[in-house]
Amino acid sequence: MMPKLYVEAVPPADLNKNTEWFMYPGVWTTYILILFFSWLLVLSLFSCAPGTAWTFVNLAHFAITYHFFHWKKGTPFSEDQGIYNSLTWWEQMDNGKQLTRNRKFLAVVPVVLYLIASHTTDYRHPMLFLNTVAVIVLVIAKLPNMHKVRIFGINAGR
Amino acid sequence: MVRLPYVTALTTLFSYGLLFAFGQLRDFFRKIIDWFKSTSKDLKGYAPICLGLEDFYTRRLYLRIQDCFSRPIASAPDAWFDVVERYSKDNNKTLHRTSKTSKCLNLGSYNYLGFAAADEYCTPRVIESLKKYSPSTCSIRVDGGTTDLHTELEFLVARFVGKPAAITFGMGYVTNSAIIPVLIGKGGLIISDSLNHNSIVNGARGSGAAVRVFQHNNAPHLEEVLREQIAEGQPRTHRPWKKIIVIVEGIYSMEGELCQLPEIIAVCKKYKVYTYLDEAHSIGAVGKSGKGVCELLGVDPADVDIMMGTFTKSFGSCGGYIAASKEIVQYLKHACPAQLYATSMSPPAVQQVISALKVILGEDGSSRGAQKLAQIRENSNFFRSELKKMGFEVLGDNDSPVMPIMLYNPAKIPAFSRDCLKQNVAVVTVAFPATPLLLARARICISAAHSREDLLKGLEVISKVGDLVGIKYFPAEPPKHGHQAHKKVD
Repeated sequence: MMPKLYVEAVPPADLNKNTEWFMYPGVWTTYILILFFSWLLVLSLFSCAPGTAWTFVNLAHFAITYHFFHWKKGTPFSEDQGIYNSLTWWEQMDNGKQLTRNRKFLAVVPVVLYLIASHTTDYRHPMLFLNTVAVIVLVIAKLPNMHKVRIFGINAGR
Repeated sequence: MVRLPYVTALTTLFSYGLLFAFGQLRDFFRKIIDWFKSTSKDLKGYAPICLGLEDFYTRRLYLRIQDCFSRPIASAPDAWFDVVERYSKDNNKTLHRTSKTSKCLNLGSYNYLGFAAADEYCTPRVIESLKKYSPSTCSIRVDGGTTDLHTELEFLVARFVGKPAAITFGMGYVTNSAIIPVLIGKGGLIISDSLNHNSIVNGARGSGAAVRVFQHNNAPHLEEVLREQIAEGQPRTHRPWKKIIVIVEGIYSMEGELCQLPEIIAVCKKYKVYTYLDEAHSIGAVGKSGKGVCELLGVDPADVDIMMGTFTKSFGSCGGYIAASKEIVQYLKHACPAQLYATSMSPPAVQQVISALKVILGEDGSSRGAQKLAQIRENSNFFRSELKKMGFEVLGDNDSPVMPIMLYNPAKIPAFSRDCLKQNVAVVTVAFPATPLLLARARICISAAHSREDLLKGLEVISKVGDLVGIKYFPAEPPKHGHQAHKKVD
């Protein structure tokens, strides 16, 4: 029988309930496992080549993480009374501190996905172009210099 | 500090991810359907009350399990009470009451000393005061709302807690959220424990002072935060802070843990900051004579600057109090909006607290107060040790009457709650946002009114439901020595 592995969870001193859940143990593993299982799911649904499946996962990951981390602003709780209404989830993370472990992990994941996707498709077009666009946009959005920057006023509204 | 199996952490995160994904999907379809149905803006130029995503959690997660919260009861919250049955035709979006009730074991009320139901000493006196003073003073304290009952209560509370003077308010929540802005304002610093109650958070936000948080019950981290803040001073100007207050609670109601008061007071004295102790759950429930956390941990009440408490938990009444030095109480009487604009406490409620305090102090001529205090301590320790032996993860320190049982997965919250109700045990389950996201729990509150048979029935039901739901995260102790353990406790 597999022995039960226990982890200790210290409640983090983060007042923002929208981002606090990311500081618990097991989040990174869950993220990676979700990506892996969605690759398996795509493979089983469409019976395509593994490379195409990774490209699909990479692009879906791009769309979902861009929408939730860098587009949607505010928090899903009305008790916060809109103090975070002009900050995206990425900007709220870790109370705005840059270059924390969580942020570095989240910035590395799109790059690793890009490497896996381009390797398994043998660097062929058009997949390579799409994957490159995805990784460039995601990594630029996560740079510390882009904190609270809205290019051309996109997404600066309510 | 909770210990959870790693696999449970992964499954909990995955479940929340799935719930979130389904909620977003439903919202997306709702937006499409709404766009088709009516392109007319009925808003007439007014802004919508809430943006679409603000109540996402309420709409998509809370409403699914709404029947586990806000259950109406039909009797006094004694050890056994009547719970009204409800049904829903549209998957818990709206609930309808029936006229049927079921008698359930009450493991959720803050009825620590058993004063919630009719009491042989308190109730006749309360009825008398109701006839003499009427249910409401219909006035603010400053105008005509201070009866001799109110002044008697303030003397009694000050004597009970061990401070020179006290002041009472009509509502416990308001005591925190209206006092903190009066004590400190812009240019001051509030350092509060990370798990403080919402009333304190509200008061701190409303005061205009800067708020910093220190790790729960961690005196070294408090010292670190204090040193950093005192060295930096106010933001941007770096001038010294006008005032620094550290706010902690006696018993944290979501963890059942006691505050590490001696260490925190030592740190505060070293840096000359004020301390504010919120004893809502600990006054009257812990300590040899019920005087709260200070008595239990051996801290002199004179070391804590402001002691706050409520009458709702151990005294079976409503309202709150602040006990502090004569100067502070005098200032509060003139400056606090809850004194100047809010109706004073209802006189029968005041009489209930006075009688309850007399019973606890033993001044009613019997030893029922000491009996109740011994009973609740015995009950809590017995219940907690039995639960731990069964393999549940129970938080909280010994002697604390609040014990949360960890559930973690979001699906176990309604499963545990509904299954217990089917077997006539009423428990309170707490989820996000009252607790951190991953750490959902069922919170048990033990009362002095529970007899040994009640506790055994509760344990039996919780054990059965725990097996069904799968929350015995730790290995259970074998019942080999159960025989001897029972002998020891009795």
